[in-house]
Amino acid sequence: MNFETRGVSKTFGQRSALSDITVTLQQGVPLAILGRSGSGKTTLLRILAGFEPPSAGEVLLDGAFVSIPERVLVPPHKRNVSMVFQDLALWPNLSVFGNVLLGLAGSNLPSKEKRERARQALEMCSIAHLANRHPGRISGGEGQRVALARAVAIRPAFLFLDEPFSGLDAETKAQIVGEIRTLSKSQGLTAVLVTHDPLDAVSLCQQALVLEGGRKVDAGPLATLLRAPESRFLEAFRERLQATFESTGGLR
Amino acid sequence: MGVALILAIQTAPAWMLACRALPWIASSGSFLETSFSKVLPSSLLTGLLVAVASLGIGLPAGVLFALEALPMRRWLLALTTVPLLVPSFLWALGWSEFAAMLGPRVTNALTGLLGVTLIFGPSVAPLVVLVAYRAASTLSGSQLDAARLAGGETTALLYTLRHAALPSLIAALLGAALTVSDPGPGQVFGFRSAASEILTSFSARNDFELAARQSLALAIVVFLVTAPVVFLAAPRLAVEILAQQTRTLQRVREPIYAGLGVGLFSVLILTGIAVPICGIGGPLLRGGSFMRAFEVASRTGIDTLCYASGAGAIAVALGFGLAFFVGRERKLRIVSVAAAIAVFSLPATLGALGIVELGTQAPAWADTLLRSRGTVCASLGIRYSSVAVLLGLHAWGTMPQSWSLAASIHAVPPAKFLARVVFPHLVPSITAAFFCVALLATADVTTVLLLHPPGQSSYPLSVFTVMANAPESLVASLCVLYIAAAAAMIAAAVLIFQASEYLRTKHAHGQESV
Repeated sequence: MNFETRGVSKTFGQRSALSDITVTLQQGVPLAILGRSGSGKTTLLRILAGFEPPSAGEVLLDGAFVSIPERVLVPPHKRNVSMVFQDLALWPNLSVFGNVLLGLAGSNLPSKEKRERARQALEMCSIAHLANRHPGRISGGEGQRVALARAVAIRPAFLFLDEPFSGLDAETKAQIVGEIRTLSKSQGLTAVLVTHDPLDAVSLCQQALVLEGGRKVDAGPLATLLRAPESRFLEAFRERLQATFESTGGLR
Repeated sequence: MGVALILAIQTAPAWMLACRALPWIASSGSFLETSFSKVLPSSLLTGLLVAVASLGIGLPAGVLFALEALPMRRWLLALTTVPLLVPSFLWALGWSEFAAMLGPRVTNALTGLLGVTLIFGPSVAPLVVLVAYRAASTLSGSQLDAARLAGGETTALLYTLRHAALPSLIAALLGAALTVSDPGPGQVFGFRSAASEILTSFSARNDFELAARQSLALAIVVFLVTAPVVFLAAPRLAVEILAQQTRTLQRVREPIYAGLGVGLFSVLILTGIAVPICGIGGPLLRGGSFMRAFEVASRTGIDTLCYASGAGAIAVALGFGLAFFVGRERKLRIVSVAAAIAVFSLPATLGALGIVELGTQAPAWADTLLRSRGTVCASLGIRYSSVAVLLGLHAWGTMPQSWSLAASIHAVPPAKFLARVVFPHLVPSITAAFFCVALLATADVTTVLLLHPPGQSSYPLSVFTVMANAPESLVASLCVLYIAAAAAMIAAAVLIFQASEYLRTKHAHGQESV
């Protein structure tokens, strides 16, 4: 299964958010979409997920058109994708278990099996003990795991992660990255990570797409891109990384 | 202390009457007289039917309004809210005239419970629509996207309905509680209700003691019905009152649901305003009496405005004062929300008769305070202060704490901070609270009927008192004048909102281009 965008552009009123993006997402090859705030990362992800139609260009899923200019042909829930949102998007009136069950609302599984799947997802994300709590009564890291459990419960082909680690401490972030990696292997799902922090990308993805001002400026294997950066964004990141190493004596 | 003081002011008239009525109950040995205990169940049944009908239509309509890009959405909502701002007996008159045009069989069918439910349903439904819309709007765009990703638009709709169900249920119950204490449509459709019995006891039989006992009984019954739901829901409402969107939800164009939404709004507009206006239009075709209607309006206009603005000012002072004392304290917020809802659900007669009792007991020199227009304003202001409390709690609660911290770090004088930062933040909520209370107070006939000084009647009360004896054409002209004024005010509000939104968008575009 693979996603493909062909010359995708998106404008909001007078403002251009994305311009002529062509990219292929292959199953089994995790991809990081990198860029500064406002560079169009989330917009691209939302177009891939089917929440927004492109203003120009097409999106294809396994060679079939799923979005064309100003029209979403295949709705999000029929694209075999799942998503962890930046603000987690947990429903405040539902328990943790109810939130995970929401992820399975559109599947044709019998109710008993849905509940079993939700329980499994909670266990995989090590939050089975929180099942009856409400989102207002759990920590940020736990909330992140609930959002992850909801996203993987349906066993999607692609897992879209929209800056899921912002606001997390380094230790929790490392734990959740580890869990995503394990889930990717055990369930065969492919992560597509949107982030402005290339360090997050390094820990999860091999391929990267760099956006600047809504345009694609770099794409390819992440290691190669970091070695010889063509964009100012990656160059700045490499300088920051070097400065950190030098100040801590890491380079010696 | 401040919170306790304001809560005491809000409930003082009710306590006063309760304290006076209890010894009478003890001495007479019976709580209710036979005729009142007979009509009480039918009043409660009306309330229940109204709650079910308004929830059944209002909840999906409000949620669809929030989620779907309905055509002419603002005007649909504006038209739907007209019945909220017009006394219910005006709509009852319209329906009654309409039924008369269709013949005696329709008139007979509408007499009694059906007619009263038909009037109250569309009057309470806008409240449910607004609450369901507000509850759905507290969801962020991502939360809805998560549901859409899981199962499409139907899943998003079902989960939003579930999310909005509890606050909408409370709104429906509160609306039903208000209908139980509204005598208007019952008078028109020959339906004996608890509220009309109280009015009869006070105005026709001049039996204050009986009216007080009946009011207290009605308040207790209403309280018993609404209290469990209110107390269960108060903690959640206290949290939701602070809710702010992180990312505005995106409305979608789903033809089936958009059609359903428009259909539900059409039902409300048809039953709520279109049919009654047709009914009122019948006598007008035979010749209107607009000159006399304008005379009544000019005679009562100043008093009506005085009651409305006075009530608005008092409610704002109480509501925003309470919000100031509550601040961000969670427990106090829950108590204030629960108290606000409880005060709102009390029958209008309870507070009004409490003030009458106070006026009776007070010395003669206090008449200027207790038997004046100010008394009517105070009673109406206290009754509708709950609206201001909720808006005030929201406005105070959503003000970032860092503002005051930053002010204290930079040694900004408190007066300057209040004038330059706090007040501008509160102005939209204060304005909204003032106008909401003013409009609700204008439509309240019961309180004005019981408390107005001689010769200082409000416009709706004048219509209410002449409707049985005056010529049909005059009554119809009076009704049309009132409805036109209410509709004009709503239209003005929509246009002002549209203009401000246009200016905001223009300003944002200007900043972008810079």
